[in-house]
Amino acid sequence: DHQSTAVPSSQIPHSDAIEMEPETMETKSLTDYFSKIHMDTVMPGS
Amino acid sequence: FRCRAGSQGASVVVSSQMTSGRVLLALVISPAKRVSFFEAAIQVGTEDLQVLSAVYSQLGNAYFHLHDFAKALEFHHHDLTLTRTIGDQLGEAKASGNLGNTLKALGRFDEAIVCCQRHLDIAQDLNDKVGKARALYNFGNVYHAKGKSICWSGADPGDFPEEVMTALRRAADYYDGNLAIVKELGDRAAQGRTYGNLGNTHYLLGNFRGAVAFHEQRLLIAKEFGDRAAQRRACCNLGNAFIFLGEFEMAAEHYKKALHLARQLKDRAVEAQACYSLGNTYTLLHDYERAIDYHLKHLIIAQDLNDRIGEGRACWSLGNAHTALGNHDQAMHFAEKHLEICKETGDRTGELTARM
Repeated sequence: DHQSTAVPSSQIPHSDAIEMEPETMETKSLTDYFSKIHMDTVMPGS
Repeated sequence: FRCRAGSQGASVVVSSQMTSGRVLLALVISPAKRVSFFEAAIQVGTEDLQVLSAVYSQLGNAYFHLHDFAKALEFHHHDLTLTRTIGDQLGEAKASGNLGNTLKALGRFDEAIVCCQRHLDIAQDLNDKVGKARALYNFGNVYHAKGKSICWSGADPGDFPEEVMTALRRAADYYDGNLAIVKELGDRAAQGRTYGNLGNTHYLLGNFRGAVAFHEQRLLIAKEFGDRAAQRRACCNLGNAFIFLGEFEMAAEHYKKALHLARQLKDRAVEAQACYSLGNTYTLLHDYERAIDYHLKHLIIAQDLNDRIGEGRACWSLGNAHTALGNHDQAMHFAEKHLEICKETGDRTGELTARM
């Protein structure tokens, strides 16, 4: 029984001490955008 | 190429090269630079709505990583509106996922749940297993954060109000659902993240043995990837769980590994946290000399980082350890220092404790 250890409360970790894993954000490709800008740069006025 | 922001004058240079018709971009840049770049990109403009959606999404993510959640919300919301307008279902699912994560970070859990559900529904409609797994992970995170956000007046893990426990159980259910899919997909990185958060959820539910088992799995996967930040997190979480199991030697071993990794990572704040945990663990083991050693290490880092609250905690702990050793002058010195810091930081509870 973990409660029977009678750990002084000031010495034990609390819920804010736990470390969460990072969120996973969804990503959207910008390759088309970069291709367009690159083409505009190498071929101005096209 | 150079991308200019017109009237705002901001410009960002991103190196690029053409290889077999593909643009390779050095996009391993900080979120702040990404924000500048994509803000500039919006000024340049585009008629391609898919591209605009990607720019909004990237901007939202960059602001999210900068912890500017209000701005992240704004851009992920623009992205959601746009993807709905153009009927891009996959894009809408992704925008919903990002919006859900952002609303969670803002503490708007009920709205976040609606977004997670939309993400999940679209993933199911499209028979997209990866999307479904990611939606379930996000759902777990929202319920975990919701549970933790409810005030429990300093109760110990496993002893929270029913509302908290219900939210945490739901989080565990969603993580279980996610785990089944990412195992099937053989996605070890995703399994690692889920094991870590399952460990934290079971810890809060008071299932400390279960928490240890999950964090050990997380540690194993982090080692497979050579991910030292994740190894440090797992070691810290394992230490916390062993404290509640009353296995203080095991806790100390894991906190020491966390400390070693924190030093390798050159992260002073988490190094201080590991020293504080070790100081407390040696106090529980009645090894006050070692406790003092670690609390002093914590104190020095807190002073370096100008962390007055951390400094106050270190002084309080040092006062107690010196009292236990009968070093009354030293105990008085740290008690007075603790009192001074509590007055400065407006910590009334700490001030009253210090006066005792």
